Amino acid sequence: MSVVNYGTREITCKIVYYGPGRSGKTTNLQHIYSQLPEERKGKMVSLATETDRTLFFDFLPLDLGTISGFATRFQLYTVPGQVYYAATRKLVLQGVDGVVFVADSQKRQLAENIESLQDLHANLADEGFDPRTIPLVMQYNKRDLPADEISSIEELDEVLNFRGVPHFAGTAISGGGVFETLRSIASMVLSRLSAPAAKDA
Amino acid sequence: MAESAKKGAEDEGGEFADFMADISQEIAQRVESLDAAAAPRKTPEPPRKPTPTPRDSGLILEWENLADRMIEDMR
Repeated sequence: MSVVNYGTREITCKIVYYGPGRSGKTTNLQHIYSQLPEERKGKMVSLATETDRTLFFDFLPLDLGTISGFATRFQLYTVPGQVYYAATRKLVLQGVDGVVFVADSQKRQLAENIESLQDLHANLADEGFDPRTIPLVMQYNKRDLPADEISSIEELDEVLNFRGVPHFAGTAISGGGVFETLRSIASMVLSRLSAPAAKDA
Repeated sequence: MAESAKKGAEDEGGEFADFMADISQEIAQRVESLDAAAAPRKTPEPPRKPTPTPRDSGLILEWENLADRMIEDMR
């Protein structure tokens, strides 16, 4: 859980990008990484298979420097979307502070989106989180594809966003909606920051 | 403090800078509110009232009588 650590003067938040395979989770992180000024660029760890799919996870430490006297770090993770990496997805969710669900807007991917969302809820519950309250934003990615191939935002919202959380249209390949999504989830996570003396669940 | 955090972040350019500016301000405000909540309350202490002395505490008030009785007994 994200905590303002007064002892070490640190704020650390863990954000996980979740979603079905090939929805654009890694592309989101790659765009963020590409926009970082040189002095802030750490290492983006990406473990991919021979077919270029994320095997384990991507990890992008986002060092925001010292803000109000606190060394502030966001740790961005992706999970492998392919269904057979269930154990890894569960592992990456440990200690998560906020989730970005990256949905593939293609009509033919709707069932995969739903399955991945159900998988997210099950894994969050298994890890002791309440899927109804954990900070979550939706990104409907690949909005640049032809209109007849993709579901409308309203349709996706109807099927996937039953919590009514903030949602964003994404074209992660060109950076569209990437930082808007990150800003939204970061804001939600920060609003839950607690001092050690007043921890919440 | 929140404004200075935002201004510092704006020195960088691009999408990341905009993100930093917003987040810096948010963190600064959050830390300020947490600091305020964590700070000990500085309400003035109420003036202490002297401990009331019971008017009738038994032996002391009756001492003179008791002494008189003892002297009387010794006679």
